[in-house]
Amino acid sequence: MSRSSPRSLAGRVALYGAATLIAVYSAFPIYWMVVSSTRAPEALINSTSLLPGPFTWEYYTNLLELTDYPTQFLNSLIVAAVTVAVTMVFSIMIAYAVTRHRIRGKGIIVGAMLYAYMFPPLLIAIPMFSIFAKLGLGDTLASVIVSHLTLTLPLGVWFLWGFFKSMPFELEEAAMVDGCTRLGAFLRVVLPLSLPGLITVAIFSFLLSWTDYTYALIMIGSDANKTVPVGLASMVGSFDLRWGEIMAGSTLIALPLFGAFALLSQYFIQGLGAGAVKG
Amino acid sequence: MSSKATIYSFLILGLAVTALLIVAPVVYAVSLSFYQMDSFVGAPKWAGLDNYTRMLSQWVFWRALINGFIYSFGTIIFQVVLGIGFALVLNQVFPGRNIVRGLSILPYLLPTVVVVLTFKWMVDGSIGVLTTMMSAVGLPQVQWFESPGAAMASVILVSVWMWTPFVTTTFLAALQTVPSSLYEAAKVDGTNAVQRFFHITLPMLKPILTVIVLLRAVWMFNKFDVIWLLTQGGPVGATEHLAILSYRQAFGQFDIGGGAAVATISFAILSLVVFIYFRLFPLDTE
Repeated sequence: MSRSSPRSLAGRVALYGAATLIAVYSAFPIYWMVVSSTRAPEALINSTSLLPGPFTWEYYTNLLELTDYPTQFLNSLIVAAVTVAVTMVFSIMIAYAVTRHRIRGKGIIVGAMLYAYMFPPLLIAIPMFSIFAKLGLGDTLASVIVSHLTLTLPLGVWFLWGFFKSMPFELEEAAMVDGCTRLGAFLRVVLPLSLPGLITVAIFSFLLSWTDYTYALIMIGSDANKTVPVGLASMVGSFDLRWGEIMAGSTLIALPLFGAFALLSQYFIQGLGAGAVKG
Repeated sequence: MSSKATIYSFLILGLAVTALLIVAPVVYAVSLSFYQMDSFVGAPKWAGLDNYTRMLSQWVFWRALINGFIYSFGTIIFQVVLGIGFALVLNQVFPGRNIVRGLSILPYLLPTVVVVLTFKWMVDGSIGVLTTMMSAVGLPQVQWFESPGAAMASVILVSVWMWTPFVTTTFLAALQTVPSSLYEAAKVDGTNAVQRFFHITLPMLKPILTVIVLLRAVWMFNKFDVIWLLTQGGPVGATEHLAILSYRQAFGQFDIGGGAAVATISFAILSLVVFIYFRLFPLDTE
């Protein structure tokens, strides 16, 4: 809906006003989180200034030196990395097989994936907790990874199915005529060409795993095995509210996401448009 | 390895993992709802439909169901209206548009924990920035989590802030698909912007809007973390919906059968929505 006609002054003012409002509405809480995490304790409680400062790093040093935060950050990284890797391997396999071969019931497979992505979290978490407890593997990172896979795997298949479907078959067929095996054609032709789709799936799987609170809350009991979201939330439950440290911890979880978004926003937006979405 | 063998081994391996990870737990959850079990490692005792009759005969169940509908309905309305509004503004040409578009997505990237903690800090007692701003312009103090109505309003407010970007981005992408010739023709006919929105944009984007509403409805109905982190379902159950009730039964009261029964009921309700979705938008598998 591009407007070619020159806009009236009133129209321009209204547009800029609306755009500013959207920017402030979306970004102010994030800005405030960062400002609070670097504001000296006295000012944090008393100052009403909206501008940053007076600065301090003490919340960050407290958080990193006196709490389990570094361990929990590492836990989150491990969980997210393994989740992404496993999701990639199996969702590529299923999506590729479903698009490249006449398989009876492939509509059911793909539909079931979308369906699985909408399951109530407790429907998965209750049996998972019970299974892992019985196996003697309760309160482990593995149990969190497995429960994250129940979200990311359907998401990966669903998205890559759409992606592989739009890729012409002739590409691999040409490679196979030239003497490549199916596996060779897949590894050397299909995968490199699917890189944008694979990056999108990786981003969304990472996002789901990194931001998850529900499954980690249920599966993990001990402080040492918590992921950052759960660890940070349990800081609020303790007797005195240390908002500086809490905002510092929040900033540290959010920063990697913003960094990744700045670098990879095109894949992110493409994924949103194509139905790879974080609930 | 032949071409067929490669594809079938991919498929079988992949589906085996999926079955183990997703199908087995769901079957197990549904079967748990027919057993009585008061510890996660104890032996289950057959209970037939007892868990269902027990949960369905309790007032808390119906309150949770209604709260779930209020919460999902409330969040969807505001997400969709705000999202469409934002998309229409961000679709215009103005300097700095890409920056505002980028900023408008940020809430969607944040972990729920971060959003909830920041909100709690912003409305904290007498020192939160939102509290001081509101009193500066003469608005009355809101006890965000004390009264039932305010607690429901704050879980809805936080959820809308987090998930509006999904609607904005999807709708913005969809706006690009409306041919501009339609708008040109309508302009020649002397219509104004509001008429063009209701007579061209909305009808053209009705399918995508239906998809957005259905998907969001399912997700908001399932949402556990926002409510749990903000109010834990309180005060006195005013924001407790089915997911919270199920969690409380299974992990608070160790009534695992009851928790599984509630989870199974929400599963059935949402399956109905998914069924409608697939009827409206059959998969194009070719």
